[in-house]
Amino acid sequence: MASTLDSYVNRSVCVITSDGRNFIGILKGFDQTINLIIDDSHERVFSSTQGVEQVQLGLHIIRGDNVVLIGEIDNELDSRLNLSEIRAEPLAQIHH
Amino acid sequence: MLPLSLLRTAQNHPMLVELKNGETYNGHLVSCDNWMNINLREVICTSKDGDRFWRMPECYIRGSTIKYLRIPDEVIDMVKEEVVAKGRGRSDGKGRGGAQRGGRGGSRGSFGASRGRGAPSGRGGGGGNNKPRGK
Repeated sequence: MASTLDSYVNRSVCVITSDGRNFIGILKGFDQTINLIIDDSHERVFSSTQGVEQVQLGLHIIRGDNVVLIGEIDNELDSRLNLSEIRAEPLAQIHH
Repeated sequence: MLPLSLLRTAQNHPMLVELKNGETYNGHLVSCDNWMNINLREVICTSKDGDRFWRMPECYIRGSTIKYLRIPDEVIDMVKEEVVAKGRGRSDGKGRGGAQRGGRGGSRGSFGASRGRGAPSGRGGGGGNNKPRGK
């Protein structure tokens, strides 16, 4: 198990931020404060009444303070998802 | 690639900065520092709900208040060039350093060898004592 994000670089990742948003993109870099470079990114907006909306965003720097979770995406599995069929409550934001 | 290198490369490019409070700032990046504090020029600030707007000629944003920055896609390719250029510089430095280190290592080796030569004689004495024990 890697203790850094090195093994995630240049791979598809999902980043969940403390405001409850879900970003998908290619991790291009990171630093010691978990600031992230996410390339070719989009946001997935979940809703309990309609399918998942994908918003194209492009190149992002996400400040480490806001990062809650980084997970690698299995592209093959992900491409089999039918996002328009998925209904889910959006995540709540973190309250400090 | 480091996020702050990318940000530095994005100087003079347009960008969108979203703060932790949800406000967004659109403008051209003038400068930034190691804490992600940034100077923007020709700024349009948008309220959290996106219903109110303010224009200002410039602003300074404390890095710790930033949630994320959106940067033009082409900027990432410009960083690569800089990193490659720096990498070449570093490898040159390493080459020179290696040669120096090699030189020092050689002298250390000869010093070690002279010591080594000295030691057997010392040990030889000891060996003389040891030999009977060994046998």
